[in-house]
Amino acid sequence: MIRLPLAAEEGGGFRAPGPEDFWQPLIGDGAFAVTRPAVVFVLSVVLISAVLLIATRRMSLVPSKGQFALEGVYGLVRNGIARDIIGSHDFLRFLPLLFSMFVLILVNNLFGVTPVIQYPTMSRIAFPIALTLVVFAVYHSIGFRKKGGIGYFKSMVPPGLPVLIVPFIFLLELVTYFVTRPLTLALRLFANMFAGHLLLLVFVLGAEYLLLHGEGLLKIAGVGSFLLALVFTAFEILVEFLQAYIFTLLAALYIAGSLADEH
Amino acid sequence: MSQSPPEGPGADPGGRSAVSLGDPWTIVAYLLSGMLLWGGAGWLLDRWLGTSFLVLVGLLVGTALAIYLIYVRLGSS
Repeated sequence: MIRLPLAAEEGGGFRAPGPEDFWQPLIGDGAFAVTRPAVVFVLSVVLISAVLLIATRRMSLVPSKGQFALEGVYGLVRNGIARDIIGSHDFLRFLPLLFSMFVLILVNNLFGVTPVIQYPTMSRIAFPIALTLVVFAVYHSIGFRKKGGIGYFKSMVPPGLPVLIVPFIFLLELVTYFVTRPLTLALRLFANMFAGHLLLLVFVLGAEYLLLHGEGLLKIAGVGSFLLALVFTAFEILVEFLQAYIFTLLAALYIAGSLADEH
Repeated sequence: MSQSPPEGPGADPGGRSAVSLGDPWTIVAYLLSGMLLWGGAGWLLDRWLGTSFLVLVGLLVGTALAIYLIYVRLGSS
């Protein structure tokens, strides 16, 4: 990430938040620093494990409120994503992966608006890249195992095309499978979380500055900025949920594409 | 992708809608690939031959191929 010079800081004026605000090392510095997103990520794993372990230990036929909510999330991934897209024959094999991914991304995204924690882990691009690498490895290995090396590449081109155009389409599909898909998958999640959090930072810090340092009517503008921050927080929760859903949906779609016999 | 045959994956009743939810992203991915690949090829040819119009030709050809591929994949169902 580019570290911009903090020029305005000495001037006492308003310093707009930027990418440098996302770099928050807690212990040490440089490439091996323990950063805030790393701690938040570990916290999310501990939290998810604890909640799921406790909840599944005390399962009952008549669900409690908590169990009902968890079953709702599980049902969404199981029936709404995995079964609908991968198909009832194969989807159970991939359900653990898809469910873990959905819950992990969802909780980490929601941490962006959770008081005290307030950091969306996925706004550091390494996290989406790591998740994308898992999806990348899974759908390609399935394709290679199911269709064999040559068969997998053959299956990328739709049948019945004019011979002249096949090499062009093949190259296009190759780039889509190996470059565009992982690139967009990681960037979509990262950019949404990064931009959303930055937007909230702008409104909240702007409100603070206007309220504390503004004069007269500017204080009213500060109130407006703060109210907008609340509106965008609600909007952000929607985006956070949506991004977790889209990531899982596309992962399932890529897996289904590798499993399909013919298009 | 979403054109799976009835016996293949994604053939559950009511499954169509969920599969076609991914269509916009598939389309974007193909368009991006087309522009990147053939636009990039045109750019490299430009640098090699010292011309300046091949990057445009590449972009157009890539976009056209991508749209054709989208039509073949998603359009005829």
